[in-house]
Amino acid sequence: MKDENLSSKYKWCTLVLVITMTVLLIRLWDLQIMRGSEMRKLSEQNRIRVKKIVAPRGIIYDRTGKVLADTRPSFNIYLTPEDIRDFSQTVDGLARLLACDREEIIEKMKAAGGMPPSFPIKIKSDIPMDEVARVEAHRVYIPGVSIQIEPKRNYPYGAAFAHVIGYVSEISDEELKDKKKYKDYSPGDYIGKYGLERSYENDLRGVDGEKRVEVDAIGREVRTLDVVDPIPGHSLHLNLDLDLQLTADKALETRKGAAVALNPKTGGVLVLASRPGFDPNLFASGISKQDWQKIALDKAHPLQNRAIQGGYPPGSTFKILTAMRALDLGIINERTTFTCGGGFAYGNRVFRCWKKGGHGTVSVHRAIVESCDVFFYNVGLRLGVDRIHEFGTIVGLGRATGIDLPNEQKGLLPSTEWKRKRYNQPWYEGETVSVAIGQGAVWLTPVQLAQLSSFVAADGKNFKPQIVNRIVSTEGKTVRTFEPVVNADVKFKPGVLKIVRDGMRGVVNEPGGTAGASRVQNVLMCGKTGTAQAGSDKVKLGDHAWFIAYAPAEDASIAMAILVEHGLHGSSAAAPIAKGLTEALFKVKTVIKEAKANENR
Amino acid sequence: MRIDKRRYYHLDWYLIINGLMIFGIGLLNLVSATSSFSSGSYNFIIKQLIAFAAGLVLIAVIMYYDYRIIANQSRWIYVGGLLLVILVLIIGLAAGGAKRWISLFGFSIQPSEIMKPILVIFLANMLHEKKRQNLPLSLKDIGKPLLWTLIPFVLIVKQPDLGTGIVIILVCFAILWYVGLKRSTYAVIFGVGAISPFFAWNYLMKPYQKMRVLSFINIDADPAGFGYHAKQAIIAVGSGRFLGKGFMNGTQHKLQFIPEHHTDFIFTVFSEEWGFIGSVVLFALFISFINRCLKIAMNAHDELGSIMAFGIAAIIWVQFTINVMMAIHLAPVVGIPLPFISYGGSSLISMMISVGLLLNISTRRYMF
Repeated sequence: MKDENLSSKYKWCTLVLVITMTVLLIRLWDLQIMRGSEMRKLSEQNRIRVKKIVAPRGIIYDRTGKVLADTRPSFNIYLTPEDIRDFSQTVDGLARLLACDREEIIEKMKAAGGMPPSFPIKIKSDIPMDEVARVEAHRVYIPGVSIQIEPKRNYPYGAAFAHVIGYVSEISDEELKDKKKYKDYSPGDYIGKYGLERSYENDLRGVDGEKRVEVDAIGREVRTLDVVDPIPGHSLHLNLDLDLQLTADKALETRKGAAVALNPKTGGVLVLASRPGFDPNLFASGISKQDWQKIALDKAHPLQNRAIQGGYPPGSTFKILTAMRALDLGIINERTTFTCGGGFAYGNRVFRCWKKGGHGTVSVHRAIVESCDVFFYNVGLRLGVDRIHEFGTIVGLGRATGIDLPNEQKGLLPSTEWKRKRYNQPWYEGETVSVAIGQGAVWLTPVQLAQLSSFVAADGKNFKPQIVNRIVSTEGKTVRTFEPVVNADVKFKPGVLKIVRDGMRGVVNEPGGTAGASRVQNVLMCGKTGTAQAGSDKVKLGDHAWFIAYAPAEDASIAMAILVEHGLHGSSAAAPIAKGLTEALFKVKTVIKEAKANENR
Repeated sequence: MRIDKRRYYHLDWYLIINGLMIFGIGLLNLVSATSSFSSGSYNFIIKQLIAFAAGLVLIAVIMYYDYRIIANQSRWIYVGGLLLVILVLIIGLAAGGAKRWISLFGFSIQPSEIMKPILVIFLANMLHEKKRQNLPLSLKDIGKPLLWTLIPFVLIVKQPDLGTGIVIILVCFAILWYVGLKRSTYAVIFGVGAISPFFAWNYLMKPYQKMRVLSFINIDADPAGFGYHAKQAIIAVGSGRFLGKGFMNGTQHKLQFIPEHHTDFIFTVFSEEWGFIGSVVLFALFISFINRCLKIAMNAHDELGSIMAFGIAAIIWVQFTINVMMAIHLAPVVGIPLPFISYGGSSLISMMISVGLLLNISTRRYMF
């Protein structure tokens, strides 16, 4: 059955087949040969993701090896923009599963706007197990979402160490903008923001690892191609003592105040407590807006570390400084007496002693024991403010002690030069009268007064306060040891320090001593109370209660400064805390000696 | 039952071997394409082989009866096919937003697939007399065949199964062309053909179908949906480069970047793994197969057989061309299986029925 018509149709058909083949082959040539390498690269990018393995942050130990901060695994939600198919479906779906606002998610995505679309954005940290299960079960419907297990910072003692250890939190957009300083960080990374976490960020952080994985179209990991293991951060061994810190924190818990205890032989910080505080764990798991506002707007300022940032007039504790200087210069000696009738008239003003009836005729010993103001008004005038300033600066007052925490306040120890510079006014001798007993323009931080106490305890020598004792790598190798750094080493005339020390011993252990109620059995604690006027003449606030102390009387192993804001009396509010610390320390003395042998401190 | 030995002698071994080669490649490719499914390849291969076996039985049955006898009964076969298509709309099984399957004796079948060869037989029976008289079809003459094509077309598009609908309407026009048209008829068909896209766009097409067309024109118009799939398909094909990534080594389909990669997008799997070389071989096999169908049409004993064979060639060409063009972004995304290669029992059986008819026609070319 062949005819002209059919063969013409067949010719047309052959033509169509040739055209079909040609078109398809040209297109294939274009895709597979001309653009083959480009397409191969795209398919590789499709399937290979580089995932960061967060390095576990270094552990922080107290001086006996008890853990103060460590890391535990936590589940975090990530979103990879590139893998999202339907934006609303994924974002709304995730918002529903996590019971949060879609705005919150969108905000996080906007914050990471500068990163490539294959970069996973952290949406929520440390989600509870039931949310993990819910998200995992619905993953197919919310492409782009992934769950990663990452180490999370954990502070087992919560607020007790909040001000010293500090906290980590996600790096902020502002910090990220500083490309130079934070070049190794990417959005969602944790960074030390406060306390030791911030001071020792570089040691604690470690080096993040990397994992190249093959993922499928909805971002699920199919297999791992290769892994670069993370290097865990170094751990910090502190001079802090867990039991002492908890004792101090408990005593301050319901109040506002600070406690600092130093090892007078090394400058090692045994206690650094400040209240009110906050729970650092809140920050480590991505603090919510409400929690943050609650803390930031609290009138009691829980974010202020009173131990190094709180400035207070030192009150009578300052008399120790005045006495030391006057004795050393020979302005007074052991037998010099002044008569206290309850007040001291100078210029056209009467400076009162705290004891209305007066102390009668007192020598320097009684003046310290009973804290006679009039005695020190007289001494102060003879000494002059500049000699107090000069000596105080040597001891470490009115300047940063150099403690290894960020944002330490310098305090203020006035001088004639300061007054001239600051107010362009001459210094009035009447002001010296106030300064001599720790009032007036002088204001200091608790850690500075602990330095003063330590100075007396160690016979005119003190060290830079150091919280960290040594940095140790995960393999147990000591990376760095912090040797004691001498701050002040003053040679006194013989006997001077003994007079002051006897006075301080009397404060606690002699009849009539202002802190007689805080005597410690078996241990000779020496101290000096302080009751500093707070507020101004117009606004009357409760006095701040101070107590500086060291123990035992000879070869002291602890020097303290305790402050209770508006605690009214140093003797009743602050001294018992020092007593508690001393008791806590010496009950466990044998353990301490062992630790000391190991640490060479 | 007496079987004429001459039929074996005249069996078209070229067609059989060519077809088996395509099917063999398809089966091998299916192993890779389905390997990433949680149920594994095994179930898919077994099901495909069962359909193949059923297809062999159907080929035997079809070959037993002279195609002229089959054509005589074509109106009943057509009615039967149409009933199945209607049944889909009533008791059909829904999957992925479409009702395309009915369950019959525990198998789910897709009547629209079976409707394709039935329509070819039906139209051939209707038109072969005109062809024999060598009378070009007037406008009046094409009314009836168009009507009988539009009925299943509408029903199938309603499922919705736009792909199969497009195939049968194109095949209908191909057959009309093959029978022969008057110049005036050509003019009208081209005229209507020119305005129908605007009509379809404004009144017939569903939003998702429009989206497919839009994302075809601009691949980035819908980067999350159809555009994304089209892009991933191109990446799959392109990344195969000259030699391919190797059997079972395709990553695009295995990692689920391509939807329906074992059915409509199966070409991307093959091309990713076998590259340009493999694709050229596959194309050659298809073109050779279609050409063989055309040869059978040319050499058929009568006009009836000739039209039938041509119609089948048209089905295979339309499906092959549109399917591959869709995979390499030369056509919008539309659900049309690649003959013998795509997974799906109904599609394979439909193709084997067609092969049965072709063998029937070719073996009887010398019989009177």
